[in-house]
Amino acid sequence: MSQILTTAVTAQAPVVKSSPKTASPWRPAAILLALAAWAVASIWLAQNPHNQDLTGILAAPGAGHWLGTDHLGRDVLARLGEAVRVSLGLAVGSASLAVCVGAALGLLAAWWGGWVDRACNLLADAIAAIPGLLWVLLIGALAPGQKWALYSGLVLTAWVEFFRFIRPTARGLLMSDQVQATRMLGFDSLYVLRWHIWPPLSGSLLKLWSYAVANAVLALAALGFINVGIRPPSAELGQMMTEALPYYGEAPWLLAAPVLLLAVTVLVLQSLSVAIARRFES
Amino acid sequence: MFRILFSAGLRVLTQAGFVAVVVGVLSFFLTRSLPGDAAFRIAAGRYGYDNVNAASAAAVRAELGLDLPAWQQLLTWVGDLASFRLGQSMVSGESVFEHLAPTLGATLHLSLAAWVLAVVLGVVLGTIAEVRRGWIAHVIDKVCTVLRGSPPFLIGLLLMLGLAVHLKWLPVAGYGDTENVVLPALTLALALCGGIAQVVRSRLEQVLASDAFEFAQIKGLPLGAALWRHAAPAVALPTLAYSGVQLILLIEGVVVVETLFAWPGVGHALVHSVVERDVPVIQGAALLMGLLFVVLNTLVDTAVKLLDPRQREGNGAVASEGEFA
Amino acid sequence: MSKEVLLRVKDLRVRLKATGALLFEGVDLELHAEQRLTLIGESGSGKSIFAQAIIGILPDALQTSGCVEIAGHRTDGQRSRTQPLWGNTVVMLPQEPWSTLNPLMRILPQVAESAHYVARATWPKARAAALAGLKQLGVDHAAHQYLHQISGGMAQRVGVVAAGLGGARLLLADEPTKGLDDDSREQVAQLLAASQGRGQALLTITHDLDLARQLGGTLMVVQRGNVVEMGDAEQVLSNPQHEYTRALVAAMPAKWAPLVQPLKPNGAAVIQGRGLSKRYAARRLFDDVDISIAPGEVVSVSGHSGCGKTTLGNILLGVKSADRGEVVRSPVPRWKFGKLYQDPLAAFPPQRRLRDALNDLVRLHGLNGARIGPLMQELSLRPELLDRLPSEVSGGELQRISLMRLLLLEPAFIFADEPTSRLDLITQQDTMRLICRATQQHECAVLLVSHDPWLARASSHRQIMLAGH
Repeated sequence: MSQILTTAVTAQAPVVKSSPKTASPWRPAAILLALAAWAVASIWLAQNPHNQDLTGILAAPGAGHWLGTDHLGRDVLARLGEAVRVSLGLAVGSASLAVCVGAALGLLAAWWGGWVDRACNLLADAIAAIPGLLWVLLIGALAPGQKWALYSGLVLTAWVEFFRFIRPTARGLLMSDQVQATRMLGFDSLYVLRWHIWPPLSGSLLKLWSYAVANAVLALAALGFINVGIRPPSAELGQMMTEALPYYGEAPWLLAAPVLLLAVTVLVLQSLSVAIARRFES
Repeated sequence: MFRILFSAGLRVLTQAGFVAVVVGVLSFFLTRSLPGDAAFRIAAGRYGYDNVNAASAAAVRAELGLDLPAWQQLLTWVGDLASFRLGQSMVSGESVFEHLAPTLGATLHLSLAAWVLAVVLGVVLGTIAEVRRGWIAHVIDKVCTVLRGSPPFLIGLLLMLGLAVHLKWLPVAGYGDTENVVLPALTLALALCGGIAQVVRSRLEQVLASDAFEFAQIKGLPLGAALWRHAAPAVALPTLAYSGVQLILLIEGVVVVETLFAWPGVGHALVHSVVERDVPVIQGAALLMGLLFVVLNTLVDTAVKLLDPRQREGNGAVASEGEFA
Repeated sequence: MSKEVLLRVKDLRVRLKATGALLFEGVDLELHAEQRLTLIGESGSGKSIFAQAIIGILPDALQTSGCVEIAGHRTDGQRSRTQPLWGNTVVMLPQEPWSTLNPLMRILPQVAESAHYVARATWPKARAAALAGLKQLGVDHAAHQYLHQISGGMAQRVGVVAAGLGGARLLLADEPTKGLDDDSREQVAQLLAASQGRGQALLTITHDLDLARQLGGTLMVVQRGNVVEMGDAEQVLSNPQHEYTRALVAAMPAKWAPLVQPLKPNGAAVIQGRGLSKRYAARRLFDDVDISIAPGEVVSVSGHSGCGKTTLGNILLGVKSADRGEVVRSPVPRWKFGKLYQDPLAAFPPQRRLRDALNDLVRLHGLNGARIGPLMQELSLRPELLDRLPSEVSGGELQRISLMRLLLLEPAFIFADEPTSRLDLITQQDTMRLICRATQQHECAVLLVSHDPWLARASSHRQIMLAGH
């Protein structure tokens, strides 16, 4: 387009594109923080999620138990709080570790090239040859219910995605004219990293991170659903769903609560990543 | 072209090898991590819990070489795996191979049905969303985002409750009749079609705005011809490539969906064996799933490479003349 | 016998819908069969908008008023009215073949389809016609290949054949020589001339005065949306009346007065290359090249595209290494050897404000930051430009800021790689003048790469031709 047209159109006429109403990442981030805060607060404020009361099973939501009780008389609200705590904690922790590992290896491979690059690529391709859930399943089976096994499985599968994004992007950036010009002026590698590599990557990393958190939450729920993940009596959203299924007729709220909470958590995480992506694209 | 096929074959072999090694090693450590005496357990698996005693356990120990140092056992284990000796189920005593063989068919049946349905749904939704802008597109986009974020077990759960329990249109679970495959296949298809629809839509948007499509019309081609000859192939190829990415979701979804609907496939067998700590079956099922993924993945990638003339017809990239060097 | 009027434009105006701002002023013209009309203007002049209005692909944000008539059909720039005429009456020749041809289809079907769908020929007849058309332009051997297997020049010719097979009588060419060097421009001019068969009219829109001269016919000069001069091409170019046209014609490098002062002998060469040889894949780029540049001297390197001019410069800088030979540089710090890039944006970190980037440099080498002000003045740069990001500054200004940054280092040597080829004619002249003046004043050695031999001659003391093999 000619210069007149571009400057005129962009300066005056509004861009005719369908943009979502929530373009800001602050709203989903706030919801997420509120969720996390509630989950943490429930350690002290809520009832004991493991307290069984076999005389008061399947109670409807009411005064004593705001969301009712499950088939063993445990307070549903408290269990939800614990479930979110555990899931989010594991998810955020593993996603963060995966970012560090993937980013570090990606930068290393892009910088050094040669055999380091080939080795990292081989490793990433090899790990990607087995789907993530399968990895977590197998490693989780080694030490059932142990947090470290779940952690390792989640990190192992997540870092590959980060690596596969960072390595080619960093490589392209490092070979660009801009980096060549900066190096010729005498700036060192740290400057290149700070001003050429980091700015374009930061937004995408954040977006990928929130995707990874969402994926981890879902993976844990899936494992819980097939009774392979976090061990009872520890609460977990997927497991709560499996436990609630047989009582669906008498106590539908038992199923509804974890389903809704999982949906909300994942939706919030996803809109966070979309909003972050939009923010950094402009 | 043969270069592509050759490298595909090589890739399948190397990845399959890796899968086998990983599964084998992990299963080995799995066995050793089980509480109690492995020999006793294996003997119990063979002869029944009531019939074992210390002597039979000792016999098993000697036979299977469970006294040997760990690394020797590992080698034997991997060696067994390499020669396709999968052993017997610790629970049922049945040969792992015979136990798993029929499950492969069931999984393939489900996966194929789900994939076809997903592609059809995805292409239709994506095309509608792009062609009919406005509120329909908005709704479809939201639906796709929700579907993408929903785990298959949740979708399956809701479908099961809605269509089977409440409306009683379809059976809740089971295997055998055509109607049995609908719910599980639909579950997986819904989980996959969100991503496909969005990819189709975004690619279609790009292609319709591209110089090449504009030129096709400016040459004078009617809209239908331009769409079919120029737009459709340009959209189909990346969509096919994307379904390779979707395979991961499919395999992961199969595991959970088969368990939910009691569909007797490999995923179901895997989960059961993990719960029962039946290591030989775990190994066999994981191996099978892994290999299935490797083969399907390579198939999709190879298909894309063969269909794209730029990758098929070798390095024809001639340096473009007439531009500043 | 009067020829058919293929295009009639009366009082055409194009405005922005949102604000009513006028982007293209009223113009009246008539184009007969076998006539050629060329529209000349720089970027931002609105000439592309005019082309888009004729072919009917104006963006929705714009609206037209006035009359546009193609071969008797009243279209007024509306897409709905022009679209039925596409291919059979009017066609726009593709600008960049890499993006306008379909990479997934073989060449022959995409060329033949115009004949089949528009001229309603059967497929066998269409294919025969396509083959004949390709043969006429010398690219029939590409018929069964794919886009990625043929060269850019061949692809361009294929595009022209594909566009013409529908039988259109009005041909539009929008910037057909963008980014091409001299030889390719020749070919394109011949191509356009050849594509205009009997009974067809050709409307060309370009900023390239040489192309306009080669095409001949009528010439229309457009400045900021207004037609400032119109007449026979040869006449207007040799005897321009309007001052803008005069400035444009004078800005053609062939008309430039020398931009460099004669060199005073002043000591040892800053940089020397001896016996440099380099090959790229199977091609030998250059062999046994000797080069030596003294302080304040400008040496230019010209040659065909792909002959290795940029590679030579990169080797002298030390960014690439030669296969044989050596480079000797005067013993000053390495960062005193700098580069001016063809794309000015390629020289700056995209997210750092220019002032901050400059301050980083000053801090790094302990330079004298007070020199920035006077240097900005010397290069006619407004101080507030430094507060912007690189992408917020125009090409010409950014290139001068890039030069200023290099001058701040008191450089020994600058490799100027096509520093002005992305700029408009008039901006190009101003920028080259400043580059030559500044480097001479600061006693800096310069290696200038340019595809334009006239520009090279006017801007340098010595010219080197890389023959290429």
